[in-house]
Amino acid sequence: MRIVLFFTCLMVAFNIQAQVNIKGKVTFANEAEGAIGVNILLKEDNSVGTITDIDGSYSLTVPSKNSTLVFSYIGYNTTEIVVGDQTEINVSLSENASVLNEVVVTGYTNQKRSNISGSVATLNAKDISEKPILRVEQALQGLTAGVQVAQNSGSPGSTLAVRIRGVGTINNSDPLYIVDGVPVDGLDFLNPNDVETMNVLKDAASAAIYGSRGANGVVLITTKGGKKNQAGRISYDGYYGVQRVGRLVDLLNAGEYATLQSEAYLAAGKTPPAEFANPSALGQGTDWQEAIFETAPIMSHQLTFAGGGPTSAHTLTASYFSQDGIVGGPKARFERATVRLNSNYELKPWLTLGNNIGFTWLQRNGLTENSQYNSPLIRALNMDPITPIRKADGTFAYSNYADTDIANPVNGIAQTHSTWTTNRLVGNVFANLNLGKGFSFRSTVSMDVNYSIQRGFSPRFDLSNIPSISEAPTAEKNLVNNVSVNNYLWNNKQIENVLTWQKNFNDKHNLTIIAGTGAISNRFDGSGGGNSNLPSNDPKDAYISNTVDPASQVPYQVANESSLLSYFTKANYELDGKYLFSGTFRVDGSSKFGRNNKFGYFPSLSAGWIVSREEFWKSNFISTFKLRASWGKNGNDRIGDYSFSTVVLSGQNYAFGADEIITNGSVALTSANPDLKWETSTQSNIGVDMEMMDGMLNFTADYYIKKTSDMLYASPIPLVAGTLAPPQNIANAENKGLELAANYKNTKNIVKYSVGANISFVTGIVTGLGRGGDPVPSGYVQFANANASQTDVGQPIASFYGYVTDGIFQTPAEVEAHAFQNEDTAPGDIRFKDLNGDGVIDIDDRTYIGNPTPDYTFGLNTSVEYGGFELGLTFQGAQGNEIFNNTTRYDFGYVNRPSVALDRWTGPGTSNTQPRANLNDPNQNARVSDRFVEDGSYIRLKNTLLAYNFSEKHLQKLRLQKAKLYVSATNLITFTKYSGLDPEIGNIGGSLEIGIDRGFYPQARTFMVGLGLTF
Amino acid sequence: MTNSKLTVLFIFIVICFSACTKDFLEKSPIIGITEENFYRTEADAIAGVNAAYATLQFQMSEAGHFRWFWGDIMSDDAIKGGSSDNDANDLLQLETFKGPTNTDHLEAEWSADYEGIYRANVVLEKVPGIEMDAKLKARILGEAKFIRAWNYYNLVTIFGGVPLADRVLAPSEYNIPRATADQIWDFIEKDLKEASADLWARSEYAPDDLGRITKGAAQSLLAKTYLWRKKYAEAKTTAELVINSNEYILVNDYAEIFTQGGENNDESIFEIQYMNASGGNWGRNNANEGSFTNVFTRARGRFGGFGFNIPTQEFVDEFFKEGFEDPRLKSTVFRIGEPMGDRGIFTIEETGGFPHLYYSKKYFNNLSEQAPFGDPAPNGGSNDRVIRYADLLLVHAEAAAQSGNESAARQSLNQVRSRVSLPNVTATGSALLEAIYRERRIELGMEAHRFFDLVRTGRAPSVLGSLGFREGVHELFPIPQSQILATNGALTQNFGY
Repeated sequence: MRIVLFFTCLMVAFNIQAQVNIKGKVTFANEAEGAIGVNILLKEDNSVGTITDIDGSYSLTVPSKNSTLVFSYIGYNTTEIVVGDQTEINVSLSENASVLNEVVVTGYTNQKRSNISGSVATLNAKDISEKPILRVEQALQGLTAGVQVAQNSGSPGSTLAVRIRGVGTINNSDPLYIVDGVPVDGLDFLNPNDVETMNVLKDAASAAIYGSRGANGVVLITTKGGKKNQAGRISYDGYYGVQRVGRLVDLLNAGEYATLQSEAYLAAGKTPPAEFANPSALGQGTDWQEAIFETAPIMSHQLTFAGGGPTSAHTLTASYFSQDGIVGGPKARFERATVRLNSNYELKPWLTLGNNIGFTWLQRNGLTENSQYNSPLIRALNMDPITPIRKADGTFAYSNYADTDIANPVNGIAQTHSTWTTNRLVGNVFANLNLGKGFSFRSTVSMDVNYSIQRGFSPRFDLSNIPSISEAPTAEKNLVNNVSVNNYLWNNKQIENVLTWQKNFNDKHNLTIIAGTGAISNRFDGSGGGNSNLPSNDPKDAYISNTVDPASQVPYQVANESSLLSYFTKANYELDGKYLFSGTFRVDGSSKFGRNNKFGYFPSLSAGWIVSREEFWKSNFISTFKLRASWGKNGNDRIGDYSFSTVVLSGQNYAFGADEIITNGSVALTSANPDLKWETSTQSNIGVDMEMMDGMLNFTADYYIKKTSDMLYASPIPLVAGTLAPPQNIANAENKGLELAANYKNTKNIVKYSVGANISFVTGIVTGLGRGGDPVPSGYVQFANANASQTDVGQPIASFYGYVTDGIFQTPAEVEAHAFQNEDTAPGDIRFKDLNGDGVIDIDDRTYIGNPTPDYTFGLNTSVEYGGFELGLTFQGAQGNEIFNNTTRYDFGYVNRPSVALDRWTGPGTSNTQPRANLNDPNQNARVSDRFVEDGSYIRLKNTLLAYNFSEKHLQKLRLQKAKLYVSATNLITFTKYSGLDPEIGNIGGSLEIGIDRGFYPQARTFMVGLGLTF
Repeated sequence: MTNSKLTVLFIFIVICFSACTKDFLEKSPIIGITEENFYRTEADAIAGVNAAYATLQFQMSEAGHFRWFWGDIMSDDAIKGGSSDNDANDLLQLETFKGPTNTDHLEAEWSADYEGIYRANVVLEKVPGIEMDAKLKARILGEAKFIRAWNYYNLVTIFGGVPLADRVLAPSEYNIPRATADQIWDFIEKDLKEASADLWARSEYAPDDLGRITKGAAQSLLAKTYLWRKKYAEAKTTAELVINSNEYILVNDYAEIFTQGGENNDESIFEIQYMNASGGNWGRNNANEGSFTNVFTRARGRFGGFGFNIPTQEFVDEFFKEGFEDPRLKSTVFRIGEPMGDRGIFTIEETGGFPHLYYSKKYFNNLSEQAPFGDPAPNGGSNDRVIRYADLLLVHAEAAAQSGNESAARQSLNQVRSRVSLPNVTATGSALLEAIYRERRIELGMEAHRFFDLVRTGRAPSVLGSLGFREGVHELFPIPQSQILATNGALTQNFGY
């Protein structure tokens, strides 16, 4: 096998020279105490070195007087000292404001930021732990250019849509997440406080080392490990908060509803209910939004034990997090408990073993979300305000007015019993061998085992007034209870071996070469079942075997597996500290692809030039000026495990016989595609990094072009085939973007402050769809019985597509004069533009009416520190995107409406925006049109933090090392023109389901108080 | 030290090797079986043809035939109904003959038909190679041929000439153009003749196979095919094969036919099977044995239905044309004040305030018959009575009348009438033909025959003209626009659309 080649070249030898013993103490500038954990390395041979102990002391044996010692510590200037005749060397390290010295994890290697030629964004623990974020991905929001983060729902525990450099594919657009080297499918299991650094590999050259999985970018997370020679430390961090809905939609009250409905009834030739005759008597009625929203608690507790001796170090953390929903309260509760142990042991001077192991238990209660049919939100927005929440007898009421499909949302929440419980272990053990001569070898074995149980129960209920005749509409009763259980077991294993060679030649050439192999094997097992008609209607008894007839269970079982085999190599070369080169090559073989295309090849190249280190560079103001360029290829392999094969599936059943025996039928539903292969994205990136004013101001800009080809798409085949289309590699897309980020940090004065800003522009279009290029419809809108979006060549992904409105017909003459819309079109109806000028308004008059993707997203964060006080603000927003407001069921004439409906047309000149009231909507005013497309731009004060750090004096009294008290708020202020509950809507149901508000669960406005203590 | 380093390194290399076995990247589906390894046993053959049967049940998008969409709503017997004009608005446009060419429902019909044809073609290609009982194999092939013919029958009567897929198509063949209607009809005739020869008679099936396609079903559909093609002599003799087989009778009680107990009774020739206890759900109902027809045609309001397929006043009036109320009316529609089974009394208020005076009754299910688990909406249990013996007798009557044998025609017609104690018809000539047509409208009312009968007999322009029907155009529905696009225009649109 090829990997043998990597290892046969190993030669190990040792030399012995005249040695010198050195000792000394290291301090940080302006601090009296010794600096713990400072790295001291021999410049000539990085395998020789040590770390300062608790007092800042060290001792080291170096080969000769000519040796140079390198003292380094994150955040401080690296200092080099030639040993000479000294035997005691004391060093004071000065603080370094420059970010260029930070160590960046770039995938199998670490590099100083100044030496990176690709595009990588970094967040440190401080950026993450100082905000009471609920999920790790949130830390990226507003802080990193080129990374767009939106909550897929405001409900606790919801996933987030993370899009690196826009949506580059019509398939899965999620980045690859790697936690301590373990690929994972999302970060809900991770305690945000455990994160040491997050690095986002944005350009293809950086991500190419992850080959077939890197096309959407890579998020690398390192969890906090122990540091050697560190005194034991115990910290507590915790907060408690309350969450409330940010704002409500302005809806009609009972009187207004009755007024409008009366008109609508009459216009449709129907007699309105008698009680509508006197609207003022109906008053405000029920506010269904008030009925479903509540104030909900949120809390987090976290304990950390960290410490390290001369040969080992450990960090042990435990955390508990709990959040109730602002809709549903405990019915939407998310809880997470984690424990983590990260350790490393220097078993031999040349052998270090270690582990990063985290166990997570999490439980999420779920309500129906973002559904235009039966989510509590959509029900609350559409239920008529006349119906009370409860009847006089205290039981829930149903509506006699709104459509029978609109059910009482409060009852709906009460009848929901759905819980997802996860037990998950993610971790690795590794061994590092220092082979000498600059060679090292690392072997890592990782596991990600997730056992989850999903339980659901729909109890019996009936809102009927007379239970014996059960007159309530179908949606308001469930006469047969049913229970379901699903067990899921994901078992992902990975082994990786990496050989690294690091060498410095003549102080001029710095070379790092790695070569590695990896193998991943994934297996999923699922089983479960359901049953109905349980004798007990108590959720506590909701088990599928708790029934009179245990044989009536409906069980199922599924299983699938996939594997990935990889070979990769990477070389970083640095010449004279000025010229940087990097190249990677990865070969990935995957079981998911067809026999003819099992392997994919992913190369990349990048180069950088630190112009400011040239002789001719004279500027003192701009201390660092670096140019970067990169090119690379990545793949996207996120498709089904067996898409290439034709599988005969059973379950195509038919019932025969007098006793209706369900009899199995089997057939292949999909045609095979043995040529199935990777989706490939090729990306070029140019960038510039600048540092000014002694490192206080830095600026980064990147421009990229990302072309995705062979995009996997099951392009609809003519239905005459009788089968479903297999995925084929046929579509193409192109994204171009510009990212700018600037940070200013002043730490020299008593008032320390920093300001950071970033902005990202992305334009993406689809450049090919195969097979004649038929547009791909998406975004089904029930009220129009049509799709609101389509993806077509030359257009952004999932653009809104529909009719263009042109005011309201004021007179019969105007109706007559305009193109034919409908026989029953009348004054008061919407005039749609006859775009093709054929005198008839039909589907050929539709056009592109909006883009759900922002023109740009931006973030602004600022902090001020003075005398222990600290104020931090993070703003974040998007500009230029549209939202399709699909929260009112216009297909039902009887449901409630937003208050703007009051401005309806009632006669010539009364309105040119709101059509007349009519139950039947004969003109189809509710067809997909720009009437429902709203500006989705927003600016949001995402996080506000006010903290007090106790002074040294207080701390000594309290025998604490550190104490911090803070208050914080999230989503405090939002500026938007969008009329719905929340403009920050994510992406549920695939990359093409974007920008459509279907009763989105809004994000809460949260106020918290928190405490951090270190003993 | 050097040696121990190398030893540790060696161990890691060995570990890596053992992880990377030769077939590491070869993963086949764990559940399910690849097509190459299937179709080897008798059980595989049966499972194969059962999958073709499953397409008969398809309803709703993206693939499905609601036969009453076309047969009833498009005729003068019923209107669309629903929650408002916007509820399945495309059906409203089609029934008022302003039809758009991109309707989901036409596409669903097209899709379901071709899925059935594909599955039948798979059986006809794979099963001949299986070693198994010859009689059973012949039956299975006959069942597949009937299912293929039935789907083409749907296609040709709805769309006219369509692409002829007489085998599993290769991707390069997806753009085949439309065959002529005659070519499709010829193909149907051939399949049905072969199926009639191979299939078993109804009485030859075991009780557990009740619901499978029979010789009588193939002969009846062949008779209907001949009748459509105006091959009256062949239609008559083929219908007589069914009549003389003594496999079928008219049951005594007309009202009983449409009850749960009347499913697969002695009058049933071809019935699509549905059941109310499959636990299926919305969507493509492969695994769902339930029918949506029950919920779609039930009244809204407290009856929990969607209120589609509303009988017209004109249709109800037809039942009174002989001077008294035809006894079959009470089995065909619900009238105000009548109980809707065990679900309560029909009043305007109880149906959600919709102004409809009638609801379709033939596919009504009682609350007590509702699915005991799963969502009751997609789990209606009523079988779709596609061909009843009464239909076959009226086919025979029409074929006989058209081929000059009026006494045979009257005998079959009066057999249908005498079952509900109506006086014999004695008419001759065109009056006899009119009487047969009228009998079809009443006897088979709300069973999805009317529109096709009107088109087949050329009466559609005069009967439906006031609704917008134009002769030469609306005999056929438009080819789904999506399919014209998907084939890059290889399919042409029907005239007038």
